[in-house]
Amino acid sequence: MNVQKQAWNKEDLARRLCHALDIGRQTVEELAHKGYTDSQEPGNNLRPEKLISETAFLLLAASTAADISDVRKRIKALAQLLIPHARSERMLLGMCLHPAMALDYAQAHVCLARLGYPDANFDLLLRQSMGSQARRGRERVPHRMLEQEWLTAVWENPTPGSRPYALPSASGSVLNHSMDLLNCSREDIYALTHALMYVKDFNISPRRLPRRRAEITAGATALLARCLDEQDYDTGGEVLLAWPLTGRSWSAASVFGFRVLTQVEDQAGFLPASSTRLARVEKLEGEHRKHYLLATAYHTIYVMGLLCATALQAGRTPPAQIPTNTAVPGGAKMILRFLDTDQRSVHWRDELEKLTEPERDAIAGLLLNIAFRRKITSGQFGALRELLEAAHALGLSGMPAASQTAEMLERLATFAEIKQTQVEKVCKANDSKEVLSTRYSVLSCSESHQ
Amino acid sequence: MSANGNRHQEIVKRLLDSKAVDFTAIGKAVAELGPSLAIAEEPWEGFCGTMRRFIHIYQIFNPEVPVEELGGLANVAGQLK
Repeated sequence: MNVQKQAWNKEDLARRLCHALDIGRQTVEELAHKGYTDSQEPGNNLRPEKLISETAFLLLAASTAADISDVRKRIKALAQLLIPHARSERMLLGMCLHPAMALDYAQAHVCLARLGYPDANFDLLLRQSMGSQARRGRERVPHRMLEQEWLTAVWENPTPGSRPYALPSASGSVLNHSMDLLNCSREDIYALTHALMYVKDFNISPRRLPRRRAEITAGATALLARCLDEQDYDTGGEVLLAWPLTGRSWSAASVFGFRVLTQVEDQAGFLPASSTRLARVEKLEGEHRKHYLLATAYHTIYVMGLLCATALQAGRTPPAQIPTNTAVPGGAKMILRFLDTDQRSVHWRDELEKLTEPERDAIAGLLLNIAFRRKITSGQFGALRELLEAAHALGLSGMPAASQTAEMLERLATFAEIKQTQVEKVCKANDSKEVLSTRYSVLSCSESHQ
Repeated sequence: MSANGNRHQEIVKRLLDSKAVDFTAIGKAVAELGPSLAIAEEPWEGFCGTMRRFIHIYQIFNPEVPVEELGGLANVAGQLK
């Protein structure tokens, strides 16, 4: 068998998924009743509804790998543990008092019902809330509307199978538009990853994407680059879902990204988020320490669980080796010249050192995306132009981040011309004959080539 | 290359073929203006506060500090058995 086409070890994927489910069990046991409150760092606060819903979501994704007995028995045990929390008095009252959030409170119930754990009484109150006047009383952005549409669809028709119609809000979501790959926020990245999860429903009842999947994964590559360089494995793991969810073949960049995440997980014992601080852990003891660790770490572990569950699906598993058929000879070396100027120590760089020359060249596009982002965030627009020129010469500029970078530089050139015009107007208004040195010089082509 | 890939290349080529601009100088000006340009992460950020009244699943707050040293995390990972 061609080594390059060998799939990632499925037992390894199953082991990682089981780890996520085991953490799910602990998190529900310890935190589902009251959530978690951190008086020192309120950003770590966790309301019970959030982790209950997320655990149910993980179970749903894991159910696609339920043919594996270790996974199946964990799903069953965790579902049983989750049921009383999913249908607690808190959830019931939440639906009563806030019908516009009925599905939010019911999310875990809907997922559990789909897994074969229904509850007619909860359905009764949910139906009453969904029929109320205030049902749509809170405005939502498109990916949150998609969430509502997905939940409604799953609740009303839990039977697996492809659906012929798109979810209405998909066309208005970020899934249907080019993202701002250069300056978007983390929330924008979550908007994309969540929209994709709702439209594709972990391939249980997938719907049509509003845009070609090649365009979606091209954008995802740029976002993956940012996540890896910022060592943000929560968004990075969700971005990697783009490949198994869309069914697009795993690219060299995505395989590399997956490898980085697995290596980090193996070295740390879990896929970490930056919210888990060792100095804080050392100050805590006993139950407080355990709760802090669970509250800050569970989420990114869950994301790894979602990713591995989806990667276990037939035809969705990443290859064991980085494909090198798209390698551009010398591409990696050229781009690393731009990256190595700031000596940043990052996990992806450690992984890069393990690759062969062709494998590094195969991920030259990913490295280029990292370089774009670094130069933009540090305002090195001169270097950015050089980078674009070098990339174009190597045939690497056929990607959305490259053209968005070019468009941004074009806008900055217009900005420079406007500033120069304004300065000249001020000079004339002051009736000054002194030649002002401006901060920007716009040269003609003939002058620049002298 | 796909039609989309060609389109991206053409945009890049258009920029590279245009008249030269001192982008380094522009970068300095942007750096001076930079902090005041940031519009995200105000306390009420999130669609006029409405985002804060929902349950945000599969999103976490990022304190924007580096991930801890992996060896150190491995030492405490045993508590997440």
